[in-house]
Amino acid sequence: MTPMIRNVVLPLAALIALALTPIFVIDSYTRHLFIIAFIYAIIASNWNLSLGQCGVFNFGHLTFFGVGVYTTAILAKTVGLNPLLAIAAAGVTAPIVAFLMAAPVARLKGIYVVLVTFAFSQLVMQLVLSQSQITGGAEGMVRIPYLKIGDYSFIRDYKLGYYYLCLGLLVVSTIFLILIARSPFGKSLKAVRDAEDYAVSRGISVSRQRVLALALSAIFTGVAGGFYAIYLRVASPEVFGFGTLTLALSMLLIGGVGTTYGPIVAALAISFATESLAGIRGFEEARYIVIAVAMILVLRLAPEGILGLFRRLTG
Amino acid sequence: MTNAIIEVVDACKSFGGLKAVKDVSFTVGAGEIFGIAGPNGSGKSTLFNLMTGIPYGPTSGEIRFDGTRIDRWPAHAIARSGLCRTFQKDAEFPDLTVLETLLVSAVYNGDLSASEAANEAQSVLELAQFDPNRVDMLSSELSVYEKKQLMIASALISKPKVLMLDEPASGLTKPEIAKLDALLLGVNRAGVTILLIEHVLSLLLSVSQRLIVLNQGAILAQGLPADVVKDPAVAEAYLGGGV
Ligand SMILES: Nc1ncnc2c1ncn2[C@@H]1O[C@H](COP(=O)(O)OP(=O)(O)OP(=O)(O)O)[C@@H](O)[C@H]1O
Ligand SMILES: [Mg+2]
Repeated sequence: MTPMIRNVVLPLAALIALALTPIFVIDSYTRHLFIIAFIYAIIASNWNLSLGQCGVFNFGHLTFFGVGVYTTAILAKTVGLNPLLAIAAAGVTAPIVAFLMAAPVARLKGIYVVLVTFAFSQLVMQLVLSQSQITGGAEGMVRIPYLKIGDYSFIRDYKLGYYYLCLGLLVVSTIFLILIARSPFGKSLKAVRDAEDYAVSRGISVSRQRVLALALSAIFTGVAGGFYAIYLRVASPEVFGFGTLTLALSMLLIGGVGTTYGPIVAALAISFATESLAGIRGFEEARYIVIAVAMILVLRLAPEGILGLFRRLTG
Repeated sequence: MTNAIIEVVDACKSFGGLKAVKDVSFTVGAGEIFGIAGPNGSGKSTLFNLMTGIPYGPTSGEIRFDGTRIDRWPAHAIARSGLCRTFQKDAEFPDLTVLETLLVSAVYNGDLSASEAANEAQSVLELAQFDPNRVDMLSSELSVYEKKQLMIASALISKPKVLMLDEPASGLTKPEIAKLDALLLGVNRAGVTILLIEHVLSLLLSVSQRLIVLNQGAILAQGLPADVVKDPAVAEAYLGGGV
């Protein structure tokens, strides 16, 4: 298979298929599943920028999502800002928080990065829990304003509007990630990841690239969080929890760390797989076991992820 | 000697109790090919490391480059100022192609735009006599000699003032070494100062204008190649070191 087919034709075909899906899928529940899958796809593919491309063992990625959720929730509900602007604002606050997290992490290595980033996410969660006047504490926030553009209301269209808005976000985020991966900056991230001393000897500042990778990975993750708050009309501290983190991580690992499309494909597949398992009686909790087994199998048999495996099989 | 481009003053580097480099001082003139010899473990690579800050600076002492003290600078800034090195162990960016490796070096170390970098890459590859059909190969797929060529080309593309080479000839065949020598002489003629670590003394003597010989972290002898070989202490260190 030529790179042309792999990098252009297949993704475009997938995009067209996803754009046409709502014509055939009219029930709002299935559309909801797609929307959640798109959100996870944005989370996982942007996480790949720091973890996969730059090799930063960032286990605080969901912090950026949570910051996005609360930024938008507070701005839209408490401040009364237009929900669309509130979503956009999450694309600013999340990278700012990423800078704060990156500062202590930039010069650390390996397991220390895991510890500090995870601790940071717990810190932010504690902050959200403790500031209950603003954030609603453990109960979170409810009845967040929904989206309206002109006369078009997003809550009585069987989720059609949200479907396309979220797909649009995924597309823009993916283009953003591809442009980064192809730029000299993106190449420098891989250089830092694979050969730190050599990269430094070629004028690349390792800590600067790490900070930038973290901040850039937070932009669309934050926006996705903002969208999530408006879409579900709730903000709850659960988003910082271990469940979201492991689900997103499984998508990243199964999809293939270091590839742009892998995590997106895996996010769609895993979202639907877990959902259909949840529908089978007695399997509600077993789905996490299924994901864990799938993760172990992929890591054993195809450490480069399903997309890497696909690439190997198709030459 | 013309004006000094590098001055190392009383440089020391300790690893715990081990003094790997002890009070080393020397000066390199602009445009020189300056050799650094010494048996295994004598501190040659450590000296390069502490001069470039990769991955550490000196424990004590001063490094001046072009009149400016650089021993507290961040390592990437030292590289960007024009003091550029290669590594003894083959270094590569396995996921980048030959061209991408050069692009990154040109953009970050040479302050070139992406399009200038592409032009510059072509001329540097020609200079290094790199097979033009293999520029889109991943670095991890290259042969040993090609990896060395690329490491040198990626240093040259940023137009360094000083090129520091750590045993570039190790692992190469005789004809490859001959090509490498020609390349280095050409680069030097174009005005680049070269610091060359070579473990094999005979090779080093043929290209260096001056050299130092390290032994157990300290300078054992220095001067013109013809004088250094006659030094009985050098013969002793090398025979003792088994070369
Ligand atoms: N990071 C380190 N930690 C501890 N000891 C080190 C370290 N790097 C080097 N050494 C020690 O410092 C001494 C000098 O090592 P160095 O690599 O500079 O020697 P060299 O002259 O380059 O030798 P070779 O010809 O084998 O490359 C050796 O005894 C080595 O074991
Ligand atoms: Mg050495």
